[in-house]
Amino acid sequence: MKLLRPAIHAVQTPVLLIGLVLLAVLAGVSGDVTIARVATLAVVSVVFVAGLSIFSANSGVMSFGHVAFMAVGAYTTAYLTIPVNLKAALFTNLPGWLSWLVDVHAGFPVALVVSGLAAGVLGVLTSPIVARLSGLQSGIATLALLLIVYNVLNSWTDVTRGSSSMIGIPRNTTVWLAFVVAAVSIALAWGYRSSRSGLQLQASREDYWAAQASGIAVGRHRALSWMLSAFVCGLAGSLYAGYLTSFNVNGFFLSATFAFIVMVVVGGYLSLSGAVIGALAVSALQEVLRRLQDGQLTGGSALPAGIADLVLAAVLLLVLIKAPLGLMGVRELRLLRRGRVQDDALDQVADGVAPDRTAKVGAGG
Amino acid sequence: MILEFLISAVGLGALYALLTIGVALLFGVLGLMNFAYGEIIMAGAFAMYLFRDQPWLVALLMAIVFAVAVAVVSEVLAFHPLRDADPVTLMIASFAVSLAIQSLARMTVLPRTRGVPPEDFLSHRVDLLGADVSVLDLLTLALCGAMLIAVAWMMGRTSLGIQLRAAAEDFEMASSLGVRANLVIPSAFVIVGVLAAIGSAVLVARQGAVSADMGLQPMLIGVVGAVLGGMSSLKGAALGGFLLGAATALLESLLPTDLIAFRDAFLFSALIAVLVVRPQGLLSGAKVRVS
Repeated sequence: MKLLRPAIHAVQTPVLLIGLVLLAVLAGVSGDVTIARVATLAVVSVVFVAGLSIFSANSGVMSFGHVAFMAVGAYTTAYLTIPVNLKAALFTNLPGWLSWLVDVHAGFPVALVVSGLAAGVLGVLTSPIVARLSGLQSGIATLALLLIVYNVLNSWTDVTRGSSSMIGIPRNTTVWLAFVVAAVSIALAWGYRSSRSGLQLQASREDYWAAQASGIAVGRHRALSWMLSAFVCGLAGSLYAGYLTSFNVNGFFLSATFAFIVMVVVGGYLSLSGAVIGALAVSALQEVLRRLQDGQLTGGSALPAGIADLVLAAVLLLVLIKAPLGLMGVRELRLLRRGRVQDDALDQVADGVAPDRTAKVGAGG
Repeated sequence: MILEFLISAVGLGALYALLTIGVALLFGVLGLMNFAYGEIIMAGAFAMYLFRDQPWLVALLMAIVFAVAVAVVSEVLAFHPLRDADPVTLMIASFAVSLAIQSLARMTVLPRTRGVPPEDFLSHRVDLLGADVSVLDLLTLALCGAMLIAVAWMMGRTSLGIQLRAAAEDFEMASSLGVRANLVIPSAFVIVGVLAAIGSAVLVARQGAVSADMGLQPMLIGVVGAVLGGMSSLKGAALGGFLLGAATALLESLLPTDLIAFRDAFLFSALIAVLVVRPQGLLSGAKVRVS
């Protein structure tokens, strides 16, 4: 038992989180069609927020642009999995240098990975931006990234079908596949968080200049986490496309961004557990609100459309005012507590604030 | 022809400068990058729709009332409790405010786009120094220009304006020298409401329609203009907005037609480039105030 304790401490949080996601999946498979749909989309959201939190939880920099990566993942999956003859009918005006898009085809597992990689490529291209910017500048720049991607997807009609929906994607995402990807994403996010680079990035989150002065190349670690999180968000986009079978470019714009921001802020955007719990809780809340809006819960007396958005905005404002760090703050989910004194010390290490640890990490970098 | 283009370009520049000041003022005073600015504009535009049968000046007055009311209510309910929060938290909060006002509008008064019949006098064209100029362009230029001069006068000559500028420069220092936060911040929101209302009147006249999400584009223009001009001073921001407007007019007449659809992509790429290369803005001095 004594030997096992460190191992348990190392993996208990991701295991607990994957268990939570499993509960959502089980609720989904035991319920009716609507519940199954809600559960699957909630698990896809978990993949997305796990990806987002790789960047924003460790660096403390908020991103408003990650939905762009999801869009890239979804479009890549569409190009790779729509049957070739349907594609030929959908894309009649492809410019010559892109005509190979009609002929490529891949099975879903390959498409999933390629989608993540495609989003990762966009992440690599944009990483110099986030490496240089902090705080509000970064917020504006990431939002600008979202607007650029949206503008291109919306206007490049010959290639992206513009504002018409992308249709005919075969349904390949099952709730169990989504669960497996979510588990991998959570493990990846936790692995990065505990890695050398993740710890150095967390040190820079607590005190940027102290981290710089200790020799941490903050920009390099931000860029690394940005690329990794782009990859995971691309996976989320691929699952999304493979589940809904058709999507519209407007699904990857401000309202989606807002929904994910509500998830991570309500849960606590500095903690992986917070992001995952927030994603599951807000997905459930959204479904309840949707039913209230349709009048399913109140016996037919429907509330006006738009009330769901209003409540969501109110919840977000309330959380920002009362508990800006969300439900979890910087804590992570744990069952097994350590001894009290040791616990506090380790908590600080995990949050990157303990000076001796920061110094040690810095010397290594 | 040249004069015609000049008046329309300068008019657009003045409109964009107006929109930019609305964003930059709140950013300077309380570090708020206000995404709900578009919804304040939408409130004004809704008043223009509601009072479309009244004389145009009455509608304009009501637009000011509506926009100021929305601006002040958002301050009291959302931004006042967050006064000490960091800029990113404020930005997220303004996202929430923006969505809340938008869905409120969608639920009650603006479930879909409403047309606003153009005012008769706006559709005329007049002969000015041999050029054929539309009254709409002249009105844009006159209204926005007058508003800019009024703001410049207020900022430069009145006590409130000097307090606002001091607060925008260094809020803590200003308040320790006796500038009252509870006076300066609400009045900043009132000024933003007035600016938004004037902007909305011009926008409604140009677009001829009002919808719940109409505020997005003008808000983004304000943000881009403010970042381009640098937010260290309102003058820089106004100049940034003006140049953005003039550049947009120029791009629209110069860009090949199949690239016009990608105008926003060019614009926001330029924005990112400015943030990365010159975070203090193209037009300001060395001081960095963003973040």
